[in-house]
Amino acid sequence: MSGLRVAVPKGAIFEDALSALERAGMPAHVLRENGRRLVYRAGETEFIVSRPSDVPVFVEYGAADVGIVGKDVLEEHKHNVVELKDLGTGRCRMILAAPESRAEDVRRAIRHAEVVRVATKFPDTARRYFERMGRQAEVIELHGSIELAPLVGLAECIVDLTATGTTLRENHLVELDEISTSTARLISNRGAYRLRHREIAALADAMQESGDPVG
Amino acid sequence: MDRKTPRKFATTPGTRDVLPPESTRLLDVQTRIRERFRLFGFREVVTPALEYSEVIEEHGLRDASYKLFDPDNQMLLLRPEMTTPIARLVSQRLAGSPPPHKLSYVLPAYRRASVGRGQSAELYQAGVEVVGSPSPREDASAIALLVDVLQSLGLEAPSDFAVVLGQSAFYSGYLRHTAPEAATGVTAALAAKDLVAVDAIARDLAADAAAGVSGIPRLVGPATDGSIIEEAGSFAIGEEAVAALDNLREILRHLEAHGALGAVILDLGLIGRHDYYTGAVYEAYAAGLGFTIANGGRYDNLLRRFGKEMPATGFAIYLERLLSVLPEEEPPPLLVLVGGDVDGIEATAGLRRLGVPVLHLSEDLSPGDAAEYARSVEAAWISYPATGGVKLATTDPPGDFVFMDAESVARTVLP
Repeated sequence: MSGLRVAVPKGAIFEDALSALERAGMPAHVLRENGRRLVYRAGETEFIVSRPSDVPVFVEYGAADVGIVGKDVLEEHKHNVVELKDLGTGRCRMILAAPESRAEDVRRAIRHAEVVRVATKFPDTARRYFERMGRQAEVIELHGSIELAPLVGLAECIVDLTATGTTLRENHLVELDEISTSTARLISNRGAYRLRHREIAALADAMQESGDPVG
Repeated sequence: MDRKTPRKFATTPGTRDVLPPESTRLLDVQTRIRERFRLFGFREVVTPALEYSEVIEEHGLRDASYKLFDPDNQMLLLRPEMTTPIARLVSQRLAGSPPPHKLSYVLPAYRRASVGRGQSAELYQAGVEVVGSPSPREDASAIALLVDVLQSLGLEAPSDFAVVLGQSAFYSGYLRHTAPEAATGVTAALAAKDLVAVDAIARDLAADAAAGVSGIPRLVGPATDGSIIEEAGSFAIGEEAVAALDNLREILRHLEAHGALGAVILDLGLIGRHDYYTGAVYEAYAAGLGFTIANGGRYDNLLRRFGKEMPATGFAIYLERLLSVLPEEEPPPLLVLVGGDVDGIEATAGLRRLGVPVLHLSEDLSPGDAAEYARSVEAAWISYPATGGVKLATTDPPGDFVFMDAESVARTVLP
């Protein structure tokens, strides 16, 4: 399984992604050498490191053959890529949360189909969630520190990812609902999946699941 | 007055002006594709860019279409693809002539592009439709034509491109027979290319059903490798799946006779737009490009909507994507002839008679300015009229002027 270009996400699932690739026999250790480079080569394999939400973009366009990315990103952007394997790592949950003090108000507002203001990094996911419930929301897209929004009155509640709940607790936010769960996925470009199927299928098979797959 | 460039002088989102040399390449590729289509006996049609909105049925395509209203307040669409307009044309205009109708087109289609996803709102397409034959042999000859077109444009299989072939009735037949309760969910997951979700559904099924549900989409490999079809045979359960696999075998048998089998990769998990394709379904991919450069398949139900029971099959090539993977080519020969008086006209006419493309500038330019102009229009040669011929020089790098008669110029400039 050589000659593939693999897109690896920075941040929370970086280490897990590396371990999974190494267990599959990929020379991913080169990624640990120098934290500032963008492209790493090991033999014929090439690794690129990017923001998690950019991984499926590189893969969709064929700039990378395969990539590792959280299901949350795939749900939000609906990229046209092949989802090959649930790696079981990087488990986190997409949740609806509100400040403790106003949690009841928000619950009641949603129940009565009032328009609530939601701050989120995942506007499509938030919109779909409210639509599915037949409820209304004004979705405000932010790019960081979502927890800040309800504290200063920008929004009444948030839709965000949480792994441990620590950040929520620190900011006196309580979970109102779980929208979905997410784990890391191995994805492939549609063309590469067919043109280089032997290598990519072998990689998918070799990437052991650690932890239980999400059913 | 506002001195800024008015915003609406830009092209609309997703559209663009196509300039030389790209426009030249686009038109050349269209010409060469037309030649291949004609060589295979296809006759070209032109349909209106506007259609009544009712003509297009598929929700996804309707949503993506540009809409407008005619003076009678009827909703019109800019055609989002060519297959449906051709189905309409066949059912309305060709009912009296014997099938199959082998028609081709080289026209743009229009779709609302999601901005920033590299998609174009105006898609240049070239394709064929074979309407009125249910034979898998017609599927095979359409695929063979696609392979021929791509090869004639300089792409080699399987190193540069491959046609990925599936049979959508095989998986749907298997599902209906062994796991009807899961069919909708599995099909939706597979259409979204989410093999993780397919496996998750399979885990809740009985072992024999699960084997095929997650096994069939994993049957991928070169069509020359007989083991894929052999393995597929073990999942050919139920009348529909058996018939679909026989159909696929027949297509492969004929592709081999066409000499096109080496360009084909089988993928039994390829179902395409699953509520549209009824049998063979295929997508062409080029190495290094994530998007399909062509797709096609059998759509036996589409003509029913126009009151005709006519099976049909065909493909469309996305010309802009295709252009992006074609090998670079030398610009076509062009000579800039500078000289405003009668001798300039005579020299130009003499060269054109010999088939030399000449851009005649009737303003007198210095050799330096002429060379700069020639570079801007990708002309490899500049010349000035001289008694009995022209003085000729190369543009890049700038060469010395050499006297030649018209015949020598033709031999030098033309490939």
